[in-house]
Amino acid sequence: MNLFVADPEWGFWIVAYFFLGGIAAGAYFVAILIEWFGSEEDVVLAHIAYWIAFPLVLVCTLCLILDLDRPERFWHMMFKSEVLKEAFAEGFPFSARGWKLAVQSPAFKYWSPMSAGSWVLAIFGVCSFASLLTAVWPNRWPGRWLRTRWPYRVLQGIGCAAGFFIASYTGALLSATNQPMWSDTTWLAPLFLASAASTSLATISFIAWWRNIGTPEARARLAGAEPLALGLEVVVLGAFMASLGENLEPVLLTVRGNIMIFGTLTVGVLLPLLLHVRVGERRWWGAPVAALCVLLGGLLLRYGVVRTPSELLARGPSVLVRFAPEESRRRGQPGADIRNHGKSVQPRTKFPGMP
Amino acid sequence: VAEAVGFFTDTTVCIGCKACQVACHQWNDLPAGHAPNNRHSLPVLSGDSYDNTVSLSDVNWRHVKFIEQFSPDPDRSQAAWLMMSDVCKHCVHAPCLEVCPTGAIMRTEFDTVYIQEPACNGCRDCVSACPFGVIHMSERSHVAQKCTFCYDRLKVGLPPACAQACPTQSIKFGPLTQLKKDAQKRVAQLHKQGETRAHLYGADDTVLGGLNAFYLLMDKPETYGLPSNPKVPSQMVPRSIFWSIFTGLLVTLGVLFRFRQRTQPMPQPAEPAPAPPAREGEVKP
Repeated sequence: MNLFVADPEWGFWIVAYFFLGGIAAGAYFVAILIEWFGSEEDVVLAHIAYWIAFPLVLVCTLCLILDLDRPERFWHMMFKSEVLKEAFAEGFPFSARGWKLAVQSPAFKYWSPMSAGSWVLAIFGVCSFASLLTAVWPNRWPGRWLRTRWPYRVLQGIGCAAGFFIASYTGALLSATNQPMWSDTTWLAPLFLASAASTSLATISFIAWWRNIGTPEARARLAGAEPLALGLEVVVLGAFMASLGENLEPVLLTVRGNIMIFGTLTVGVLLPLLLHVRVGERRWWGAPVAALCVLLGGLLLRYGVVRTPSELLARGPSVLVRFAPEESRRRGQPGADIRNHGKSVQPRTKFPGMP
Repeated sequence: VAEAVGFFTDTTVCIGCKACQVACHQWNDLPAGHAPNNRHSLPVLSGDSYDNTVSLSDVNWRHVKFIEQFSPDPDRSQAAWLMMSDVCKHCVHAPCLEVCPTGAIMRTEFDTVYIQEPACNGCRDCVSACPFGVIHMSERSHVAQKCTFCYDRLKVGLPPACAQACPTQSIKFGPLTQLKKDAQKRVAQLHKQGETRAHLYGADDTVLGGLNAFYLLMDKPETYGLPSNPKVPSQMVPRSIFWSIFTGLLVTLGVLFRFRQRTQPMPQPAEPAPAPPAREGEVKP
């Protein structure tokens, strides 16, 4: 665990993006599968996902822009600013020289998760917008026109792949750093993906219950998928904890680390599983309360993952020493100087020459 | 293309005078820091030895570390100071350069790593990627800031301000190949004198493919606040992708398992039962 790094101070906007982006991407991914492989009565559930995916993408984009220290330069994520400015100076779009420079301006680094994520988020926005049109105007132009054209199927396929990418790349982005905990595991991406699946199913389920959309059979099928997603999330969360190895202990010494693991596990997974198994459809509140618990758990997971490294850095190297000075003081033991390799040192009570 | 240049910092001859810090501030016109939570007040004393700038920051592109070591006996009878002038390492496989989505971080013709301020949009991905805690966000310009290796001075054939100001030549500047030869000679000299703990950090390609600002240390790297094994960010991505695809397949299977109506064969309508033979006297319709 590297504790010599600086804190990027990613906070509220990034947590919100990871949470809402996961729901949007997961919902679209699941919706395409439902529309392609489900029955006619299930398609209304897919339409719920189409209704929420594009608005959430817009909110996510806003979150990302607001998190930048220079929000007015958000477009630098996708275009080389100096090349594009030069293209405009050369008369783009009215000159050949300007066009020649403009086509060289896109900035895409496939090996940088943030660069790739910016482009895929834009692609996902286009696909989810097209699907929103089909959900809003299923029997009128442009929705009906889109639905009856084969390119729309291709667009759906691209959107499905983009949804999968958006749901997971945020975890890979965190792993591709040198921050404590993030860079010590490769299981953040699958963890975010599993959480995106459970939170998106919960969102669709909650909206279906709230607005009374879909047949009882379709909603029962949806409710049946939720425990599967939660089971997968437990397994992936376990793999994530195992992958941390000896670094799990310092993580568990932090408040946010405990929120990340125990908050997610109890509120976001075990409680809704219990509600699905013990209450299920016997009580009207079973499904919506379980869905809200899953959503809260997903939010706790994102908050814990994003904010734990800053707490580790604030505590410094002492977090890696079992009997760190503050821990020793709490136990009434003499303080230990870490720079003396953890060996306890008796503090001098009286200095020479002092009365 | 100009020759690759670098810094060789020999910590054994650093006297902690902070001339490098002052020269860096002067040449790059960097302001003084301020007290925590009060922009209009001067920095408070840190209480950590003679170090009051505490770490590298947006206004401290050089930082002299004071590491006090005491013997473990009750009277702390033996004491020693380790001093080190810290700076951006201008790594060969620079994590900041690798992750920067805007292309604001670039490699210069001198093989140094440079941030183009007009292109930076303040996403802070470079801050999270740097394993040495070098890059910080400027409170004035709101873009990423770090040592420029005095690019403007290099362009006109001058050495970086810190190296020129160093009175003990703890910070040596020059062509990398020459610096590495000098460093090996210095380590051999120290070993001959009985200082067997002396070793080089970042001179070979084991740390991020090599550091263009490398060090001669007298203790393990962690003592100086340097990680032993920093990571290249992209090395984590392939395994993340593999496990994500695996998890994505499981999600797909789970959804298909619940919504698999169209994949099941449609039930065939039952054939009508053969009509019973007509009885005598009954008229067939």
